[in-house]
Amino acid sequence: MTKSDHQMRDDTAATLPARLLGPQRRNLWFWVFVGPFAIGLALFTYVPLLWSVYLSFFNAHNTVNPTDFVGLGNYTAMLSDDAFLSSLGTFLLFTAFIVPATYALSLSLALMVNRLRFAQAFFRSVFFLPTACSYVVASLIWKLSIFNGVRFGLANTVLGWFGVDQTAWLSTTSPPWYWLVIVTVRLWLQAGFYMILFLAGLQRISPQLYEAAAMDGARPGWQVFRHITFPQLRATSVAVVLLLVINAFQAFDEFYNLLSDARGYPPYARPPLVYLYYTALGRDQNLGLGSAGAVILALIIAMATVVQARWFGLGRKED
Amino acid sequence: MALAGALAAACGSNTGRGGGGSGPALSQWYHQYGEPGTQQAVKRYAAAYKKADVTVQWRPGDYDRQTAAALLTDSGPDVFEVNGPLLDQIQGGQVADLTDVVAPVRSDFNQAVLAPKIWQDKIWGIPQTVDTQLLYYRKSLLKDAGVQPPQTVDALVDAAKKLTTSKVKGLFLGNDGGVGVLGGTPLFAAGLSLIGEDGKVGFDDPAAARVLAKIRQLYADKSLLLGAPTDWSDPAAFVQGLTAMQWSGLWALPQIKKALGDDFGVLPFPKDGTGGRPSVPVGAYASAVSARSRHKAAATAFAKWLWVDRTDFQQDFALSYGFHIPARLSLAKQAGQLQDGAAADAVRFATEHGYAEPLLWTTADRNAYQDALSRIIKDGANPESELKAVVRKVDAELQRVKKK
Amino acid sequence: MQDALTRAGRALRAVLLVALALLFLIPFYLLVRNGLAGESDITAPNWTFFPDRFHWSNLTEVFTDPNLPMARALLNSSLIAVSTTIGTVVLASLAGYGLARIPYRHSSVVFYAILGTLMVPAAVTFVPSFVLVSTLGWISTLRGLVIPTLFSAFACFVFRQYFLGFPQELEDAARVDGLGYWRTYWRIVVPNARPVFAAVGTIVFIGAWNAFLWPLVIGQDRSAWTVQVALSTFTTAQNLNLHELFVAAGVSIVPLVVVFLLLQRYIVAGVERSGIDD
Repeated sequence: MTKSDHQMRDDTAATLPARLLGPQRRNLWFWVFVGPFAIGLALFTYVPLLWSVYLSFFNAHNTVNPTDFVGLGNYTAMLSDDAFLSSLGTFLLFTAFIVPATYALSLSLALMVNRLRFAQAFFRSVFFLPTACSYVVASLIWKLSIFNGVRFGLANTVLGWFGVDQTAWLSTTSPPWYWLVIVTVRLWLQAGFYMILFLAGLQRISPQLYEAAAMDGARPGWQVFRHITFPQLRATSVAVVLLLVINAFQAFDEFYNLLSDARGYPPYARPPLVYLYYTALGRDQNLGLGSAGAVILALIIAMATVVQARWFGLGRKED
Repeated sequence: MALAGALAAACGSNTGRGGGGSGPALSQWYHQYGEPGTQQAVKRYAAAYKKADVTVQWRPGDYDRQTAAALLTDSGPDVFEVNGPLLDQIQGGQVADLTDVVAPVRSDFNQAVLAPKIWQDKIWGIPQTVDTQLLYYRKSLLKDAGVQPPQTVDALVDAAKKLTTSKVKGLFLGNDGGVGVLGGTPLFAAGLSLIGEDGKVGFDDPAAARVLAKIRQLYADKSLLLGAPTDWSDPAAFVQGLTAMQWSGLWALPQIKKALGDDFGVLPFPKDGTGGRPSVPVGAYASAVSARSRHKAAATAFAKWLWVDRTDFQQDFALSYGFHIPARLSLAKQAGQLQDGAAADAVRFATEHGYAEPLLWTTADRNAYQDALSRIIKDGANPESELKAVVRKVDAELQRVKKK
Repeated sequence: MQDALTRAGRALRAVLLVALALLFLIPFYLLVRNGLAGESDITAPNWTFFPDRFHWSNLTEVFTDPNLPMARALLNSSLIAVSTTIGTVVLASLAGYGLARIPYRHSSVVFYAILGTLMVPAAVTFVPSFVLVSTLGWISTLRGLVIPTLFSAFACFVFRQYFLGFPQELEDAARVDGLGYWRTYWRIVVPNARPVFAAVGTIVFIGAWNAFLWPLVIGQDRSAWTVQVALSTFTTAQNLNLHELFVAAGVSIVPLVVVFLLLQRYIVAGVERSGIDD
């Protein structure tokens, strides 16, 4: 620290160009490395982002150069819109389910695969392979083959063997079977990726810890998992949960591909992005209202992430 | 870099180019039609035009969204077909005024589908073809079950229930239980409308809740086919024998005839109550000209050439691939394919009972109404309170669009 | 007693693993079954595990269908995925290294500004992005499809985290030899950081291959369609051709599955050692 303090004091004495370049031209080099990325990000993310914020204060039907300023009107409209609020509820429900489910499944897969003595590579590949599929492809398989509502759907065929009637998985609201379809698509697509992360975490746990635990008489299985494995996986767990929550917030593809049709989208299982798509970015071009909703959503995501990061103590090691 | 160059070059060489004409380069957009041959046909029409070099773009996916986004920019289409144009597009100055182009033949257009293209006495789109929807029923299955073709909504509910077995459902209204496709159809069947002649909400009436409760009954009886791999617009479910009756488009008729021969009939959506009437939705994709087109005059001239002057192409487009009613009355009369059997019935229904969604019925209105309809049909929500909320929303929208 | 328990446990685990593996493989099985079946086999009321005979002609059908430029779409997807991967990895790794290793007073401000974009849903910026790209005249071009997607905050974050943990001694040695940041980076850091490049490269490649919304709107011209866009034409067509849809879906995942199977050892090692999970 003292060294850099010295340098800073030297800076103030130096001429302006030298000061801009920094000691050993570090400022210059920093921007050589970071500049291209930062400029691109500014142009293709920040400019559109600010533009959206700007639009959110206007009555902007079918235009991106609006003139009719409405202040916070779009925000109050969105926050008093039952459909938008219920889409936030949908999101919470979805997150509350998909995050623990993926976490548990991928951790279990990792634990089971990790200690395999044979065919480990085979099982790992099988669980990892779905990562290669797109949401488009997976949704098509789920909607048209596994969970279609007629007699030649796989799920209905299997249930038919046991004498159960056909179920219209995606069209029935009570019980809400559509959640089964939505959640299993995502589980299938992403569990393998997080399994790999957990496998990496498991590899890093020192074997000596297990040996010591065995000496202390800890029984293999639950006790070892609870007192050694799980605490040691803390860093991995935090990263996995953060990624899962961010991904859940951005959920769009499988909902859209499973539940939309040419005429629209049902009022259930409609997460915020899908709702905004139909309010503002689809046929109805209410860009002001849609932007306001999107900004609200972005703020919620940001808050949730910060809260989580605090909760988990993330970023402490960098400070 | 070499790779990158290859794609850039490839993208530059436009495959859709008709190459027929000289003059300004125009780009014309169509949504993806399901019928084979349509794409080749529209390219042929474009190539036959000599006064401009027209490129056809065939757009899969969410066409409404793509056109809406593209109309905000300078790289959008010059001429495009549109399921509208929507009121907000007209008010936002996104489409060109085509009144003068249509004027000479205005009375030759099907007035029901032309009406929603008109705002403040100006015409904003040229109807291409009339699409309509019908109730298809399998004669043999109805006969076996001892059911008459339903003439009222109550009879429809009964028939669907009687026709439902463990393998075959009574009625298919789409995988969402009819929410998307029915729209205002049941309201019309009950003698109501979406937006009345007076420009006010047309379904603020107890009859609306009554008829929608009957649609709910269809769902509650488990008479509806749900979750088929194909939706209402595709006759597959009907042809495969998954359902005894299906609500679908006129376009499905040739396929059904091919698969089932004479074992089917068509009906309008049956009437409900004493003030009711049979109800048949009609609508038309329109050809519109983008107001941001760099060659607006040339684009307008092309739209006029194809959709006003070239009646031979209009006839070919409507009848040679899919099965649509020509938007021009004179052409519809000449169409041999529409003269007999179920097709003739369909044309008669569309002429006698056809209603089109009014221009004032905005997308926001439709979304609110469909949400309510879904809750009524699937969740058994109270139709009266659901409809009250929709009426409020539509009132507010009417205020908004009339202010401009 | 304990041995017996663990043996029972091991057997249970084996059964569970096999059952789960079968479940995970069902969708692939359905792709093959439905893709190589005749239309009537798929919709038959009685389930058959495989069609009576495989319709290999479905494969040629999908490549010769005049409405579906499948070969062209595969080429486009490959070009886009490769150029996106190279571009993203180069840009993000440079930025990640700069943020991790070059002391700069406002470094953390820049870092959080980059990280913050992770939380912005794509729908927020979608329309303005589209307008921007179209203003630049990039509609239906490789530039438009690739360049706006190159700036991945996630990739940058992963590289930064990795380089933070990179052994400083290696670089110090290079500095002693008189190498500047630039040459140290290319000669010492990159060759020693292959796992993280493999991991990020794979993730970016998958994302680029599977991207849907952006190519749909930017790749307006038919000749610029990607595989995902071509696939989506099935679901919007008025008539659904199930066997062709499934065979096309199968074809669309073949390149990625092959890449996975061939490179999986490196990918897994890369993800494991890249510190993505730290």
